[in-house]
Amino acid sequence: MIFSLNELVSWLGLTVFEIWINLVSLTIFTILLALKLDEIYFVESSGWWIVFSPLFIADALNTYFCAIIFIRMHMEGMMKVGILRTLWSMVTLLLLFVFKYLLCKKLAGPSNLDYSEVLSPVFILLQLIAIRACQLH
Amino acid sequence: MAVLHRALFTWFNLLIFLILLVLRLDHRIQWNWFIVFIPMWLYDNILLVYIAFHMILSCKNTHERAVSIRRTVWYMIAVLIKLSAQILVCLKLETLQWTLPAKAVLAPFWALFAAFSVDVFLNLVRYSRY
Repeated sequence: MIFSLNELVSWLGLTVFEIWINLVSLTIFTILLALKLDEIYFVESSGWWIVFSPLFIADALNTYFCAIIFIRMHMEGMMKVGILRTLWSMVTLLLLFVFKYLLCKKLAGPSNLDYSEVLSPVFILLQLIAIRACQLH
Repeated sequence: MAVLHRALFTWFNLLIFLILLVLRLDHRIQWNWFIVFIPMWLYDNILLVYIAFHMILSCKNTHERAVSIRRTVWYMIAVLIKLSAQILVCLKLETLQWTLPAKAVLAPFWALFAAFSVDVFLNLVRYSRY
């Protein structure tokens, strides 16, 4: 579209496989979300955790994938690049996980958190992405 | 447009949209949902113009014309699906008396995410790039 897949990979620091995992999990998440909002399934408030489960599973798979890439890069002697790549992936995954966890917690039950607090990890991530955008050629 | 300009434009639109969204969800502002989505409308319209411009360029270019046009048509359809999904979300949030089913509202998102998943998967298989 506005970006090619290669441009997205170099901007966001994700691999094509991670993008695919996220897309599949988002597809399943939207289907479960529709079932929840129409009150067909997952009617109780704890149902939100089931609705969000594809996203958490995708995070776990991406973490596993990043760990494997780090181990392989370490074995091939690319220590510095490997550490930088893993650090970026872990920060991204952690911020997105915290956002999803806080959102799920807010939706599932009485929570004192404002939406501005729930979305704060996303705003931090946006600042990091802006820095990466400035490094694009 | 250079990739830096495109990235910063996307980033800026997303930032403004998220700020408006947070303000609306926290009831700091009582604006209509269609106004909250203005950054997205703006972004999608510029995206449509950008894709149309590319389509004209690929029509002029004789080299690999068919593949390029097919690709731009797919992008155009994707942006239109995104636009329709956003309109449905705004309608659902704004007109509570209509009781639009969530399935109908989220159906364009299913189509969009599923199509992008297949596209990325084919790319993954074709070029064996992980």
